[in-house]
Amino acid sequence: MAFIAPLLLLGTLAVAVPIVIHLFGRRRAKTVKFAAIDFLFQSDRKTARSMQIKEKALLVVRALACLAIPLALAKPYTSCERSGPHVARGAQAAVFVIDDSFAAGVVTDGKTWLVRATAQARAILTQLGPEAEVAIIRASQNADTPTELTRDHLRLGDQLLAMEPSARPADTRRALEAAGLLLTASGHSQKTVFLFSLMAKTGFSAGPAPWGPQGPALTVVDVPVANRNNLAITKLVVEPDPASGARGIAITAEVLNASATPVKDTELALRLGSDVVARGRLDLAPFERKAKRFLAVLPKGSHGADIQVALPNDVLPIDDVRSARAVLRDDVRVLIVNGDARTTRRDDEIFYLETALRPGDRIDSGTTLRTITPDEISADALSEADVVVLANVPALPTARVTALTAWVKAGGGLFVTVGDHTDAAAYNRQMRELLPQSLGEIVDTMWGATPEERAARALHMEKFAVDHPAFAALSKNATELRDAQFSQIFLLAPDANDSARTVLARFTNGAAALVEAQVGVGRIALFTSTIDRDWNDLAIHPGYLPMMQQLIRHLARRQAPVDESEHLVGSTVTLPVAGMSKLEVRGPGNLATMFDGDRIAGRTTLRFSKTEQPGQYRVRTFDAANTSTTREDLGFAVNLNPLGSDLTPAPPSVLPASGSGGGTDKASTKQRIELWHAVAAVILLLLLAEGVLLQRA
Amino acid sequence: MQLDAASLARLGTMAVRARVLVQGALSGLHRASHRGSSVEFAEHKQYSPGDEIRHIDWKSYAKQGKYFVKQFDQESQLTVYLVLDASGSMNFAGGGASKLEYAATALASLAYLVSQQQDRIGLLIFGGSETVIPASGRVQLRDVMDALETANSSGGRGQNSASAALQRIAELNRRRRALVILASDLFDASGDAVPALQKLRAAGHDVSVLQTMAPDELTFPYDGMTLFESLETDHRLLANPAAIRAEYLRKMQAFLGNTKEQLQRAGLDYHLVETNKPVETTLRDLLIARNALMRGRSVGVRG
Repeated sequence: MAFIAPLLLLGTLAVAVPIVIHLFGRRRAKTVKFAAIDFLFQSDRKTARSMQIKEKALLVVRALACLAIPLALAKPYTSCERSGPHVARGAQAAVFVIDDSFAAGVVTDGKTWLVRATAQARAILTQLGPEAEVAIIRASQNADTPTELTRDHLRLGDQLLAMEPSARPADTRRALEAAGLLLTASGHSQKTVFLFSLMAKTGFSAGPAPWGPQGPALTVVDVPVANRNNLAITKLVVEPDPASGARGIAITAEVLNASATPVKDTELALRLGSDVVARGRLDLAPFERKAKRFLAVLPKGSHGADIQVALPNDVLPIDDVRSARAVLRDDVRVLIVNGDARTTRRDDEIFYLETALRPGDRIDSGTTLRTITPDEISADALSEADVVVLANVPALPTARVTALTAWVKAGGGLFVTVGDHTDAAAYNRQMRELLPQSLGEIVDTMWGATPEERAARALHMEKFAVDHPAFAALSKNATELRDAQFSQIFLLAPDANDSARTVLARFTNGAAALVEAQVGVGRIALFTSTIDRDWNDLAIHPGYLPMMQQLIRHLARRQAPVDESEHLVGSTVTLPVAGMSKLEVRGPGNLATMFDGDRIAGRTTLRFSKTEQPGQYRVRTFDAANTSTTREDLGFAVNLNPLGSDLTPAPPSVLPASGSGGGTDKASTKQRIELWHAVAAVILLLLLAEGVLLQRA
Repeated sequence: MQLDAASLARLGTMAVRARVLVQGALSGLHRASHRGSSVEFAEHKQYSPGDEIRHIDWKSYAKQGKYFVKQFDQESQLTVYLVLDASGSMNFAGGGASKLEYAATALASLAYLVSQQQDRIGLLIFGGSETVIPASGRVQLRDVMDALETANSSGGRGQNSASAALQRIAELNRRRRALVILASDLFDASGDAVPALQKLRAAGHDVSVLQTMAPDELTFPYDGMTLFESLETDHRLLANPAAIRAEYLRKMQAFLGNTKEQLQRAGLDYHLVETNKPVETTLRDLLIARNALMRGRSVGVRG
């Protein structure tokens, strides 16, 4: 043991003080010559003895305290062989780059890696000494970077103590670049970057070296990870599953075995809300990704459900769970204007359309149908509809066209089909605003054809806009529609403004079959043939039902019943706010963010970016009367970036070369261990013991 | 008039104190001095040749025509042994005069009283090893006073037991019954003082015990860290009196209670004397108690 300030050891002479006080105090005790002293001895032989012992103990305690105080002030230290990184004490600049990605939550011996890393960082901070200027840079993706070095080691220590794993993957190269920049501005000759990293290869992106040969010295602090065998759910896809009914969903979870050890029979649990509704098992080869598909039905009476798939907890529990949000769309209210009503139901113009939109007349089809005649079109009827189908109606009078046009411009969806009652000239004259394109002549391919020739002369649909939602439910080339035979169609007249409409499908003769256009914020679609079997046999082909359903939903702006877009931690989510006075987003941990006033007024959407925690985010809206409504359709789930789940160690070559900014005494293998803390602790204990003894004496 | 310890000290020699106390404070309590010889009629006995003719009761002969001779119980002077404890513990003076001074004064007063009645006085001082053989007369009284004075002025020392002195009295008075008055704190390390007193009583002697205690020994009024030093040995004890007061008082009361019970059971006349009490009060209590005892005994102090 040696001392930094050995002169202060002279203070140990103070040990004489308590001894003198003790002896002096002993003399100061009143002396009484007493006759019945035998009774005193009898009375308190034990007390007297223990008092003598306590008196001596007090003397010893005080003498030790007087010895220990100068000993502590002399700062004793010992030295041993260095086990950690070399740390030079004194004036210098240093940056701690600490991996606080979610992978830093990997658990070894009951402690997270980050806890052990920050403990080592605090030890190094102490060893650097008070003259060192230090900064801490977190290595998670997009983490804030300090702008200057500081000597406020107390604050840095607190910062290290408070550090917790973020929910982002590591971006160590960015952090090293930031450290290099920060040290460039420092005037110290000795510059060091202490890197505390899991050294997972996914944390090091490719790029130029963060510093050159004159850059700082790089010291990699080894914080070992005992077990890197991590299983993670890296993707969760929720899709509608029509086979399970309108509320049926299919959940596909992708599991990654990011280790060289095969995994057998690991269990996956699917939760809907708080209930586990399904379990599955998986075998995974080393570094294999495998998907597990679950089928489930959303509970009745709810418009949505939180979905979560979980693995049993392993070394990194945070990526053993992945969430999604499934939302049932509201029923589409369809107003069918029947232009060719018949008493025989099968001959009715809208028989096949009704059947397609409400298969089997099921209540849960997601569609509400109302059928009226052209004369019944009114503003009231329109206000209760999302989509209006004009099925082979004669040209409407101007008043109804005006009402319909205004309704479409406000966001309604209009589907126009033609037939024998369609007068092209009247349509073009009175209803032009409701058509994507003017109607032309009727083409009757069967005119004069013999029965044998009919098949050959029939037109077929082709050239589909396969990416359009109307055809999204069909197979790749919409084969379900290609066999349909069309005998009559309307041609469309050329328009000056062709760019305003989109042809979604064409016939084999090149004529447009299905055309769509945007009117105001509404949509209109024109089918150039009938929707019953008068001019074609499309209605009896398997593609008819999904096409009609999807087209109607598209026109009604109702999409698939699930949230297919996956939001990652830190991403921005766009939320509609039209007509709302306030909107609240409540994330995991019940942390709420309120948008109101200027942040929401007059806007149709807002961008929410406080998505730092994985989990479910719920949305509540408030109307003008401050009445809140939980918007299940707006809720969303945020998940981890799966990149960070792979803990496979990176080769040392990913690290930049250490620069020349290091210290001069690298050869030293001895490490100084300061002992004054222990001595101070002993002083405290001695003072405590003295207090106890005094109280009992 | 009552004289406290301070007043007594101002009175000068032991002889003066004794005279002041007996002639002043105790006047009227005892019978008049020079009452006559110490003979008491016991019974009649029919005359037989050889009996003293002067003891023939002629009045009985006149009535009954037979000769009867008067017989008497005690025809000699009373011997009073004063025994003073002059051991070191008697030097203690907490809350009044020292126990030795107080006891010596009380015994001197008794000596003066006895001397006034022409009885024989003897004195034994253990601790000082001073002995005055019983005798009567002024010279004897002066010797006793001198011995008490010397014992008082030289102070107590040692830890001599009372048993040796009491044994000596028993040996000196095998044939004569005596009144033994012991003034001591009875702090006897060997514990044989009480048995010795009981033995003396069993031998027919009349024994009065003045157990002399200082008030501070009975109340233990000390406070703060105190170093207690023994008056008889080199024992020392540093203690906080508050911590041991209750237990000390319990032990002391037990000791006093046991002593009193043992002595009274053996027929001894026991008095607990506190040194802050006027000496004449102590003497008065002793004499009253003696008078009460005399009603059933032939031997006693005729006060």
